[in-house]
Amino acid sequence: MSVVIESMLTAGLAALAAGVLWLLGWRLRRAHALLSALGVSVGFAVLYWRVQGRPDFPPIDATQWVFWHALFALPIGWLAGIAPAYRWVWVWGALLGVLWLFVPPFRPLMESGFWSLTAGVGYIVGFALATWLLMTLTAPLGEERGIATPLLMALLGGVSAGVLFYGAKSASLAQLSGTLGAVIGIGVPLAFLSGFTVGRGAIALTMLLYLSLWTTAFGFAQLTLGQLAVLYLLALTPAMRLLPALQRQSPVVRFALPLAIVLVVGGAAVGISYSAYMAQGGDYYSY
Amino acid sequence: MRKQTRWMAYLSIVAMLVGSLQSVQAQPVTYRIDPVHSFIIFRVKHLNTGFAYGRFNTFSGTIVVDEKNPANSSIELEIDANSIDTGNSQRDDHLRSPDFFSARQFPKITFKSTRVRKINDTTVEVQGDLTMRGVTRPITARVTLTGKGRNQRGQEIIGFETTFTIRRSQFNINYGLNGGLADEVRVTFAVEGIRQ
Repeated sequence: MSVVIESMLTAGLAALAAGVLWLLGWRLRRAHALLSALGVSVGFAVLYWRVQGRPDFPPIDATQWVFWHALFALPIGWLAGIAPAYRWVWVWGALLGVLWLFVPPFRPLMESGFWSLTAGVGYIVGFALATWLLMTLTAPLGEERGIATPLLMALLGGVSAGVLFYGAKSASLAQLSGTLGAVIGIGVPLAFLSGFTVGRGAIALTMLLYLSLWTTAFGFAQLTLGQLAVLYLLALTPAMRLLPALQRQSPVVRFALPLAIVLVVGGAAVGISYSAYMAQGGDYYSY
Repeated sequence: MRKQTRWMAYLSIVAMLVGSLQSVQAQPVTYRIDPVHSFIIFRVKHLNTGFAYGRFNTFSGTIVVDEKNPANSSIELEIDANSIDTGNSQRDDHLRSPDFFSARQFPKITFKSTRVRKINDTTVEVQGDLTMRGVTRPITARVTLTGKGRNQRGQEIIGFETTFTIRRSQFNINYGLNGGLADEVRVTFAVEGIRQ
């Protein structure tokens, strides 16, 4: 089976798993917060298993923590779903939870001497704060109806796959990022169902997993801090739709502006990564 | 009579010297791996078509040779995973990435022998633990003595060579197994050691 067909099959299976759980959450409103996050959790676990194989626990290879993040972060995703009613639980519970998630993957880089202790602690705290902030700002998008949010987040997966492929030079992290986009992208056709929303938990957990993949690429592959910052700013773009200034605009403008930014800035980021990749050594290498 | 006694004394001193020299030769001898004259190369099949070759440029280690009792011989080797060189910098970066060696987390590949068994005068079978990407697996290789001599500095040198095959999937290096790159990797280690 060709790599392309296998990737499509993987993405399809993962999206199907997420879609079924979201539909269930849509019908069972009382379980919506949990099933919204569970859809992403199960979808990502399915795609990881197919792309990378069965991970160890605890992982010897620190990049395998990405898989366990999908499962261990499920309570955080669920918490994002009920956050409006439990603001302080979200602030402290989610923040400490994310901080706890980021310690095990990056500890080996301090142990191997690649990062100094100070730098390592700084990165871990920085990643946790940035992830929590992103989740907080974007989670409310999960309550919006329509295709805008799942489409923007799916595009984010495609853009980051390109940057990880050419910038970080890791095909597997790129594949995971791209197929995570496909998982959240199943929300696009589902959005045509009357009253359907993916839920706050799905958005928050997807953002956490994107950050988990990108920071892994920064720590263990060759993603630069600049490329990581660009991806982070792009991830914030969908939240523009919630700005009061944009909420006064027409639905077309609210959809088109963040879409244009993701396409133009994201396209430029992929283009720059590709050019730098091709310029390196001047010799072409196909994976 | 006195002359005869003196000669006997001389002879016994010479005999003692020869004897002690022989016992020195019988002791295990330690050689430091000379990285300039040693090579670690590997090959793996690409797209089930042609072989791709590569090497590691930076490594160090010691070889202990006990000719009288080969079971006392040993080898320890430490390879810098970041020194991988396949003649293409983009491919080398990819090989250092988490898809393959994840060299930031696992910067060293190590081998430590656990058993050496003599096969014939020039060949031994070496068993040992190869650690790569955090996974340790036992491997066995037949090592051939390729020569002994002295270098330009007058130091005693010794040469060995071995070729063996490993399965990279056993070390959790699974990228591209579905037809892209073969699981089997043939490794050749040609070494020259300098006596310490």
